[in-house]
Amino acid sequence: MGRNAILEVEDGNLLNTLNMLWRKLFEKKVIDALLIPQELPSGINVVQTLVGSPESLESPNPLAPVLPVNSARIVSQMTKVAPSPRRVGVVLRPCELRALIELVKLKQASLENLVLIGIDCFGTYSIKEYSKLAQEGSPPTEDFLKGVKEGREDSSLREACQTCEYPTPMNADLIIGLMGMDFEKSILLQASTPEGERILEALELKDSNETEVAKREEAISQLIAQRTKKRDELLEQTEREVFGLENLLKLFAPCINCRNCKTVCPLCYCKECFFDSPTFEMEAEKYLGWAEKRGTIKMPTDTLLFHLTRMNHMAISCVGCGMCQEACPNDIPVSNIFRLVGLRVQRIFDYVPGRSLEEELPLATFKEDELQEVG
Amino acid sequence: MADNEFEPNIVGFLCNWCTYTAADLAGTTRMQYPTNLRPIRTMCSGSVDPVYVIRALLSGADGVLVGGCHPGDCHYVSGNYKARRRITILKTILNTLGLEDERVWLRWISAAEGRKFADTVSKFTEELRKQGPNPVKKYWST
Amino acid sequence: MVGAVLVIGAGIGGIKCSLDLAESGFKVYLSDRSPNIGGTLAQLDKWFPDNHCGMCKILPIFSRDESSQFCLRRGLFHPNIEILPLSTVEKVEGEAGDFLVTLSVKPRGVTEEKCIGCDLCAQVCPVEVESEFNEGLVSRKAIYLRHPLAMPNSYTIDWDSCTKCGDCVERCPTAAIDLSQEEEIRSLEVGAIVLATGFEEFRPQPLTQYGYKRYPNVVTSIELERMLSASGPFRGRLVRPSDGEAPRSMAFLQCVGSRDRERDYCSSACCMYALKEAMLAKEKNPELDVHIFFMDLRAFGKGYHRYYEKAKDDLGIKFTRCRIPQIKQEPKTKDLLLTAKAEDGGLTRHQFELVVLSVGQTPPPHFPELSKVLGLDLNRWGFCKINEFSPAETSREGIYVCGSASAPKDIADTLVEASAAACQASILLSSQRNRLVGTKIYPEEVDVREQEARVAVFLCRCGEEIAAAVNMQEMIELARGLPSVLYVEEIPYLCLKDAVADMKERIKDEKANRVVLAACSAFPYERLFIEAIRDVGLNPSLLQLVDLREQLSWIHRDRQQAATEKGKSLLTIAIEKLRSQEPLPLLCQGVERQGLVIGGGLAGLIAALSLAEQGFEAHLVERAADLGGNLRDIYATLERGDPQALLKGLIKKVEENPLIYLHKETEVIEASGYAGNFEAILKDKNSMLHPIKVGAIIIATGGEQYQPTEYRYGESEGIITQRELEGRLASGELDSKELRSVVMIQCVGSREKERPYCSRVCCSQALKNSLNLKEKNPEVDIFILYRDMMSYGFKEEHYTEARERGVIFINYEVDHKPEVKTNGEALQVQVIDPVLGGTLKIEPDLVVLSPAIIPNDNRKLAQMLNLELNEEGFFKEAEVKFRPVDFLKEGVFLCGLAHSPREITETIAQAQAAAQRAASLLARERLESGRVVSEVNERRCSGCELCISVCPYDARVKDEEKGVVAVIEALCQGCGACAAVCPNDAAKLRGFTDRQVFSMVDAAV
Repeated sequence: MGRNAILEVEDGNLLNTLNMLWRKLFEKKVIDALLIPQELPSGINVVQTLVGSPESLESPNPLAPVLPVNSARIVSQMTKVAPSPRRVGVVLRPCELRALIELVKLKQASLENLVLIGIDCFGTYSIKEYSKLAQEGSPPTEDFLKGVKEGREDSSLREACQTCEYPTPMNADLIIGLMGMDFEKSILLQASTPEGERILEALELKDSNETEVAKREEAISQLIAQRTKKRDELLEQTEREVFGLENLLKLFAPCINCRNCKTVCPLCYCKECFFDSPTFEMEAEKYLGWAEKRGTIKMPTDTLLFHLTRMNHMAISCVGCGMCQEACPNDIPVSNIFRLVGLRVQRIFDYVPGRSLEEELPLATFKEDELQEVG
Repeated sequence: MADNEFEPNIVGFLCNWCTYTAADLAGTTRMQYPTNLRPIRTMCSGSVDPVYVIRALLSGADGVLVGGCHPGDCHYVSGNYKARRRITILKTILNTLGLEDERVWLRWISAAEGRKFADTVSKFTEELRKQGPNPVKKYWST
Repeated sequence: MVGAVLVIGAGIGGIKCSLDLAESGFKVYLSDRSPNIGGTLAQLDKWFPDNHCGMCKILPIFSRDESSQFCLRRGLFHPNIEILPLSTVEKVEGEAGDFLVTLSVKPRGVTEEKCIGCDLCAQVCPVEVESEFNEGLVSRKAIYLRHPLAMPNSYTIDWDSCTKCGDCVERCPTAAIDLSQEEEIRSLEVGAIVLATGFEEFRPQPLTQYGYKRYPNVVTSIELERMLSASGPFRGRLVRPSDGEAPRSMAFLQCVGSRDRERDYCSSACCMYALKEAMLAKEKNPELDVHIFFMDLRAFGKGYHRYYEKAKDDLGIKFTRCRIPQIKQEPKTKDLLLTAKAEDGGLTRHQFELVVLSVGQTPPPHFPELSKVLGLDLNRWGFCKINEFSPAETSREGIYVCGSASAPKDIADTLVEASAAACQASILLSSQRNRLVGTKIYPEEVDVREQEARVAVFLCRCGEEIAAAVNMQEMIELARGLPSVLYVEEIPYLCLKDAVADMKERIKDEKANRVVLAACSAFPYERLFIEAIRDVGLNPSLLQLVDLREQLSWIHRDRQQAATEKGKSLLTIAIEKLRSQEPLPLLCQGVERQGLVIGGGLAGLIAALSLAEQGFEAHLVERAADLGGNLRDIYATLERGDPQALLKGLIKKVEENPLIYLHKETEVIEASGYAGNFEAILKDKNSMLHPIKVGAIIIATGGEQYQPTEYRYGESEGIITQRELEGRLASGELDSKELRSVVMIQCVGSREKERPYCSRVCCSQALKNSLNLKEKNPEVDIFILYRDMMSYGFKEEHYTEARERGVIFINYEVDHKPEVKTNGEALQVQVIDPVLGGTLKIEPDLVVLSPAIIPNDNRKLAQMLNLELNEEGFFKEAEVKFRPVDFLKEGVFLCGLAHSPREITETIAQAQAAAQRAASLLARERLESGRVVSEVNERRCSGCELCISVCPYDARVKDEEKGVVAVIEALCQGCGACAAVCPNDAAKLRGFTDRQVFSMVDAAV
């Protein structure tokens, strides 16, 4: 499967080395443009940028431990109407890639002429936390990578990241493999598609030996095991918190119907939300009728209907990136609930969102001899 | 005893081709069954958007019955297979969140099965009586 | 010429034929002797080979709102079909194109328009007789409804048992009963007649050895159908008639009334229905021990062999090859004792708690007389005589036949023939198409879109049927208080003519723009009420029916308060839905009125001709330089017909027909579009491209013979195929006089793991070639090594003849196949002799193999048109039984070997059927949708295509330019799968918008 090459890290500076790699991709005509996070001059955040020439690569930092947006949304925005004839490299974290694959299945994005560059992900901080760290002193990326190297467990990472069991990219042409590597010395470049192999060829890198690959594999499986355990603990706790109508209502009590959760969700792809449709525009009589029937109704109505319906639409494709939870102004554990529900419904169909383009969306198909006992 | 007096309210989404006809047959053969079901005739079980079911439950329905043709019999080829996936997903969500998914039944009842229709309504009513009212009704803050 | 057809017999064949004719622009009279339509099929719940119910699938796809859109068990209507129950043909005068038919219509004794189906008459009727619908398992009264869903839903008097006591007349609340009604004579002018009289199941009383009617636990297969039926007398519980206990073991005895001396034919369907019944019984009780005793297991249709294997391997149904000579009863337990001759000749005894006689098909008792009236020749078994090469034609021009009237057969074959008969009638009457049909002209629709909803509510009391069970006053008051309701009226009987007329006046007076009719079951009355509101200028979607009877008063007796509450809820639901209901138009789309036939073999030739002879232009595309396909290699038929003469005639007709554009050495390299609007590109031998536009496509791409790898084929000159034998005999290359001994091996490559299907034609081929050999050289020894001889229908006669002429039939099992050895020129065949035991060694001059029929590579074509292939690579039809020549992709039709292996006669019928289906599309100037169709809110549509993936009709397509989905309304059947899967309401189902459903839900809780 694929090819693995070694990228020597020059002067122990991984970011610089990667920066050279991006430039080389331009030079070798592998890409004509690059979507990559860059540090803001203030240093307190990174943003996704689309870079048109190598000269403009000022402060690319795909390793910064922060995820302001799930960039699958951005790729969708760029490619949905009509993909470019030019080749665009997109540097994405695993959850972004998985969301992108889901969006491709939902015809909201196209992989045409994209070079998918996935990057091993050790987790990210919330924007707030990141900017706090940045302001406190040393650059967060260096500290963070140092911590990773030392095997430090970082409990201030986002909950979604701490419990993410897909820390390595799936479906990327080229993987920037950090796990298990001494990334002050070298990292692994992994090609898992013919496209990726062509890139490695163009880069003229030396092949890695099997030990390095094995080391990475081992580190990955350790991390996955650790995170899965954490995930299960978290979801168990979430289930306890959420189970039953009373608990559920309590959890959602702070909801102010701002719908930020759906706005930032990479998979809430509707142009216009169902809940913004005329179906929900009603005469006063209607509200009064309900109030009469039930004594009191909460206004605005349909808070739970919104969340349950969104779950019904999205849970099957939820990649657990946690953006919704980040966006919630009142700290409702939306993502935890979605992950809990998502895992259950995904399991029914043995479906892993973002695993493969070949796997049909469960709602788009059926099997005759399944689900004999629905209840 | 208040509990004994509880009469559940069931919303039924019945497919025009099979289950609604089964209900019709139960009628022409004068089978007696509980009055708790409020049938809504739909084109197909596959046209029942799960949001209708959620909406019914959140509006205080004690139960929701989705009735369709037996797998393989759908007039529209495969509507019931799709319904089966959707309702399964919905029930899994409800179940996971402790929202009493047993208040949602998906049943295959063919046009010839008037008896099965009547029995289904009787049984569902009975089960819901045991289960008690939909707790949604206790809260106005949904 | 008269553009009308009389179809005699309203079973599934007659119904299908009528629908096909009605859809293609002819007036149809559908007559039946019985008071209701449905025939034998109404008694059955499920069908082989999938144990599904699907008869509704024969209903029209286009202009679907014109015809009934509900379970066919609940009736049928179509504006071009007039149903004539209780009618017998008395006289037929005139000739093809202009018949004058005299019908005698038996009095029903009950005025249909007045009967409300309340059953009070039957309750007071003192006469009890056996219910024929339930095969005598229960009784009925002398005034009765054949079954609870029967249509017309009017009661009928059984004059044979009625004592005319008059109790019912007195009891009838609507004075619908008239015991003095007399037979009426009715004359019809029709251009053609189709005989679809079906069969009568064999009544096994004369076969005294089986003890039928003496032993209570011996039942016929059709009785078992009723026993297994959920709506049957035992509510679907399988019990023994003697004690009402569930049997632990049961046996099926095959060929009861078939393949015997008197009826030397196979009834074709019994093996399959026995499999089905056995499986259904097993489903009810998995512990049940089920045996089937058979002679040959004839699972020769498409998908049938897989079904047989499922029964055998998955469900553990046991099969024993022998004819049971006698049944004895254990007097105490009423168990039944069977003695079977095992394969080694020894006798084995079996005891069963229930025995089912798989009864065959015979002509109905009235059939000889009917055929005399029609002037038709019958064959020696009393079935209608047909022409081998034109199976829908009878001996009288202008009279056609389908289904079991001409030979015993199953539903799938019956439906193919029904369309073929419709095709023949359409050809004859094509000049009269659309002359006698024409929908009623209604006043122009009032535009209510800008008006506020003004709802009029009419509540029917149905005498006391509704009124006694609920508090009508409370319901009236509720309705009055609901928003938008401006008028509420209570009416004693809403369905009576005067009441409908009054209601129309009231709607007009009140300027109501929405109408709720709260009465009884929508199924029988919807059409009547829709007509009424169209009469007052309202769009039919502005009508809501509420069933206060079948869904309320009849099921909630003696619970007036609760029933009233429910009734109020039902009313509110309907009114809520209606308030936001928009008038829904019928949407139309044009049709390219010519056809494309792909494949110039027998099926393609017939299909193209059948289109052209109906007046439609047809492109006929053939890959090869010559027309004829496989038929070119066939020199004789089992029935001694001359296929080469047939082929020559067909080619001449095709070449001379000005409406047929013949494209030889041409291929279809591209095809796209949808029903009525396909585009295809033809590429000829010079690589020239010809784009064409057609409205319908018929796929007749054929199949081919499997090249055997078994039995040392190719290793010796003496090992050949049946087709090679046939060719050599025809050319004289092989002199049968010189042959001493011939071994034929059946099922070469068929009914194997890789090809789990029967190739259907090979047994006939073997019989044909052996009879041919025997005729020329009676001395030649012929051994046919077979697994099951598939000489179904009247082919059985030739099987018998072959045995009489000394052909030796040796059965082999699949895991003990014969062995062929070669030693230089010499051949040796070894086979286990099931009768004598041990291995039989034969040293024949020739080993003749019967290879399978395999499909051509259809993948490219399938992909182009989005058609499905089955596991074996044959095209997959829309529904195996009820839509046998249609594809799910509307506008594309299927016939010939591309569908599955079949005989010449069957291929002809199928090709005609496909042509008829195509013609019924091409006969329209435009395709009309139903009212309930889906639509797209483009502003909201994200183009995710989930709706496209769930649409079974390809009615949704992506508009790539706009990035949104579009609906081809004429194809949309309104199933709503798209609306349910669309997350944000961009896909909507008209008449069931989320807003409406939410309102209904609110009203319901």
